[in-house]
Amino acid sequence: MKLSLSWIKDYVKIPEDMDLKKLAYDLTMSTVEVEDVEYLAKRFEKMVVGVIEKVEPHPNADKLRVCTVDIGEDECKQIVCGGINLQEGMRVAVSCPGAMVRWHGEGEPVMIKNSKLRGVESYGMICASDEIGLGDLFPAEQEAEILDLSAFDVPAGTPLADALDMNDVLLEIDNKSMTNRPDLWGHYGIAREIAALYDLPLVEIKPYQADVKSDFKVEIADPERCPRYIGVEMSGVEVKSSPYQMQNRIWKAGMRPINALVDITNYVMLATGNPTHAFDADNITDHIVVRRAAEGEKLVLLNEHELTLCPDDLVITDSEGPVALAGVMGGAKDSILPKTKRVILEVANFESTGVRRTALRYDNRTEASSRYEKAVDPERCDQALALSMQYFQELYPELTVTGFCDQYVNKLERAQIDVSLTWLAKRLGKSLSNEVIQKKLELLGFTVQIDGDNMHVIAPTWRSTGDISIKDDVMEEVARLYGYDNFEATAFTTSFTGAINQKDQDLIRHIKEYLAIRCGMQEVYTYPWMNDVFVNAVLQSTEGVLRLSTPPAPDLSYIRSSLLPNLCEAVVKNERYFHDFSIFEEAEVFFDRNYTSPYDETESLPEQKRHIGAAFASSVKDVTRLFREAKGVLESMPRYTHMEGFTFRKEEKPVWADSIVWLNIFRGEEKIGDMGLLAKKVSMDCGIKNLSVMLFELDATKLVPLKSRTNKFTHLAEYPETDYDISMLFDSNTAWADMYEVIMGAKKASALVKEASFVDEYRGKQIPDGKKSVTIRLTIGSAEKTLTSEEIESAANQVMKKLGKKLGAELRTQ
Amino acid sequence: MKDKIESILSEAKTRIAAAASESELQNVKSAYVGKQGSLSLLMKEIPKLEVALRPEMGKLLNEAKNQVTEIIEEKRLELKLKASEVSPDFDCSVPGILPEGGGLHPITQMCYDLNDAFRSMGFEIFQEDDITSELYAFDKLNFPPNHPARESMDTYWLEGHDSGSTNEKLCLRPHLTGGSVRYMQTHKPPYRFVYPGRVYRNETTDAHHERAFFQYEALIVDKDITFTSGKVMINSILSKVFGTDVPVRMRSGFFPFVEPGFEIDMQCQVCGGKGCSVCKHVGWIEVMPGGSPHPNVLRAAGLDPDEYTGFYVNIGLDRLVMMRYGVDDVRLFHSADLRFLKQFR
Repeated sequence: MKLSLSWIKDYVKIPEDMDLKKLAYDLTMSTVEVEDVEYLAKRFEKMVVGVIEKVEPHPNADKLRVCTVDIGEDECKQIVCGGINLQEGMRVAVSCPGAMVRWHGEGEPVMIKNSKLRGVESYGMICASDEIGLGDLFPAEQEAEILDLSAFDVPAGTPLADALDMNDVLLEIDNKSMTNRPDLWGHYGIAREIAALYDLPLVEIKPYQADVKSDFKVEIADPERCPRYIGVEMSGVEVKSSPYQMQNRIWKAGMRPINALVDITNYVMLATGNPTHAFDADNITDHIVVRRAAEGEKLVLLNEHELTLCPDDLVITDSEGPVALAGVMGGAKDSILPKTKRVILEVANFESTGVRRTALRYDNRTEASSRYEKAVDPERCDQALALSMQYFQELYPELTVTGFCDQYVNKLERAQIDVSLTWLAKRLGKSLSNEVIQKKLELLGFTVQIDGDNMHVIAPTWRSTGDISIKDDVMEEVARLYGYDNFEATAFTTSFTGAINQKDQDLIRHIKEYLAIRCGMQEVYTYPWMNDVFVNAVLQSTEGVLRLSTPPAPDLSYIRSSLLPNLCEAVVKNERYFHDFSIFEEAEVFFDRNYTSPYDETESLPEQKRHIGAAFASSVKDVTRLFREAKGVLESMPRYTHMEGFTFRKEEKPVWADSIVWLNIFRGEEKIGDMGLLAKKVSMDCGIKNLSVMLFELDATKLVPLKSRTNKFTHLAEYPETDYDISMLFDSNTAWADMYEVIMGAKKASALVKEASFVDEYRGKQIPDGKKSVTIRLTIGSAEKTLTSEEIESAANQVMKKLGKKLGAELRTQ
Repeated sequence: MKDKIESILSEAKTRIAAAASESELQNVKSAYVGKQGSLSLLMKEIPKLEVALRPEMGKLLNEAKNQVTEIIEEKRLELKLKASEVSPDFDCSVPGILPEGGGLHPITQMCYDLNDAFRSMGFEIFQEDDITSELYAFDKLNFPPNHPARESMDTYWLEGHDSGSTNEKLCLRPHLTGGSVRYMQTHKPPYRFVYPGRVYRNETTDAHHERAFFQYEALIVDKDITFTSGKVMINSILSKVFGTDVPVRMRSGFFPFVEPGFEIDMQCQVCGGKGCSVCKHVGWIEVMPGGSPHPNVLRAAGLDPDEYTGFYVNIGLDRLVMMRYGVDDVRLFHSADLRFLKQFR
């Protein structure tokens, strides 16, 4: 919201020497956020009023004229101009060199310089209204129309800002910071707040005294939705321009002047925050009734839109039907037209949430509805009426009030609150004297009675529509007016109940740090919604997957039941720049099942779990390597993150996985995740071009942190241990797990073998078809003595013999 | 003879000093004290001398040989110490081979920094599910029934769960505060906990607006806590993040779930409060809302607001991270773009 300082000063006597920076700071600290303080005249620097002395044709251009302009200096200036309405004797806005203008009202401002136009010297520029940002205040009727300031009786050379009353300051207030303060949505409201902040006198708006006898009436059929409605019927008006000062202020507040009748209603709204409306009285049949719309009733709005109404809409009607959507917008039928001679002025109060619903229903939020929906107090109608009548009478001296009716059917009760002063001091963290507290509250319009420890507070009407309702609200008023800066930070004291021990939290952090720091993987974040392409490719079914009703895009409606689709999308995005990378994500996944809530038995939430997913992408075609890297990350994870370990076996192939390269991950008998190679077909469906991708996904809720570190100390070997590599030929489909079992299982091949580890396997040259060569490293040693080389070899031979017997392994002959 | 010995000795010393390698030194050695070395050859001439001179010359000669041998051994040690495994043109300026690179997301890093700070002050870490009901997203937080935030245009409601009573209407949580109520309902006061998490808003995105972003809430509830204690909490957070004490101001702000409510600004770290384009020339940057939990919120959590009060802040982690690193587009955080993420290791 933009506010004119000179307008505010109509209502509060702000000292001339008041530092505006401080004013903005104080308002920001105590009341609303002042986003900008703009010295309006700065926009019109180096612009003056000029009088055209002579208009001559341009020697080289048909559309240009060469003007001789008096700008109040000793000599007239020659200015080339393409305006179509140039006249000798006309007053115009001249931008001198150094002024900032927008060419044809578009683009970024540019600085005016002395220049030559088609070979003719030109000093500055004669401006159109939109070139100096005044298009809304002085709308041009046609292209290339120069702003005609002849109506402004000022001498040539008068600074434009002076001539147009632009020596003002605009305060820009963040609307979001005052949604809870309906009283501030107008110049008077801010003036009242400033008066309270600095204890300055506030100008009172004297109520209007109606003095008319007639049978004019209005009727309110729904007092809940329309607590008050004042109608004033007037004759002797006409459609004409409003005075410049009114137009100027309406423009400064960010609206457009239209005509005097409309301008008065807008001006009053901007002044008081109470919207008002003027109907053409000749188009109202019989009298006004404020009621709910009937189902299916039609209303054509001012903007020509035809609405089909519903009973939740409040409408202003005459005997023929709806004429306006209450608090939102007037209708076409009763609108002000050039022929309007009689008007009915509406100064009314409508209930906030109803207005909001209606405005939203028809997607039609207006200046009026956005004010009403903040909950305007009905007492404010008095101010709005008084100001309206003042301006009607000023602008139309011939005006006669032919009818007046004030229906105040639902009187506002001022909020009353009892506050304990001891409680107040405790909550403020500071003891303020009763006098200070009382004074601050009274400045804000509260009525205060102190009786012992109890302070009885009555809120002013303009704060009683929900804004002030409990003692905490009163505390806030005292604190903000005293100034939050004036409260010192105080340490909080609290009891120590023991060390924080949150194993679950720590485990997730350990896993993420393990993946990032030890495994060299990069953590990524993706959105909770999945792209249909990846849902179809990776999940291949949407059963049990939840959807958003209003998704960010039509193809982003499913929310994730697995982290893998989005990780695959991340692989696609990064494939352009990287050929070898691994990423992981830890986030929540959702399932359309098991509705319950651990917090509230009345609530039903779907199943939600934290998952950890990872993708290893590589352009190297060695899938075995990629597989072993991913598996290695999982195998060491429990050890490094101090959780119960897991095992791998094949039970159920994930749909996205290659037909052979996959494993399910188990903790005990419970499946807690999958790993595998992204199947070629899935990879292509995802749009992955060249990379092979290994994936894993773990259900983090199933991971169990150890109570403490459990790896036990083992004594250092007293006698040396020896690594002894054996290479043997196995059937190509023999599993390492079986080899290990033969060597290290319950019946060990040799008591001297301490460990067996996989070194590598080889197929191809020199290896017969259907066979593979596997190199196994045996760690051989004894607790009793240093082994001789014969003893070591004999142990290795025992192993080889057993591998031969159990698995048909043969010694590699060469 | 004496002169001869001395001249050989001094010549040997010069050659030993000049020797650049052990093999050169070996040559020097054989040239003087080897079988055919010049000192060894002199020895053979001793019998030719006058008898009276023999013992003295023999002694001199032996001493010279010993001296040469000794200096050579010293030199040998010196050469050993100087020796290198590589040739002298080895280039130490070639870059190192970097360890396998990985990293945590910059928002995770920020979150862990804050967790560490709050843990050190005895706060617990609380985490909660992303899908919540309207009951906890709004009702329990004192949002009036017609509050604009409830409209679908601001909140992501779930299909098939977007109508009915508020305990059945489900959405991706629009803020974290509802989770605080869950915590309070299931724990006994006093409370000290932080609550990091992702929240969702249905809005048009641009460099400063995102549909999914991170919040970090901290809540302390106890008897007799005043809002002025909140200043301590805020100072702790910012000094942890920025490494120095950052001036902070609290000003009036409005949120349904707090009373009084604050907007908390920190001094602009770019200009030091003098005013610059980053802070729109005001010297302050809005970093978080805060305030005392509204009595209705405490009631919803089963507490008596006359007995308990507290202080709460809600930090926009995305914004704080953007300030920490000078990131100018919030959408990068969810881009999963490694070119961006790799910068924060």
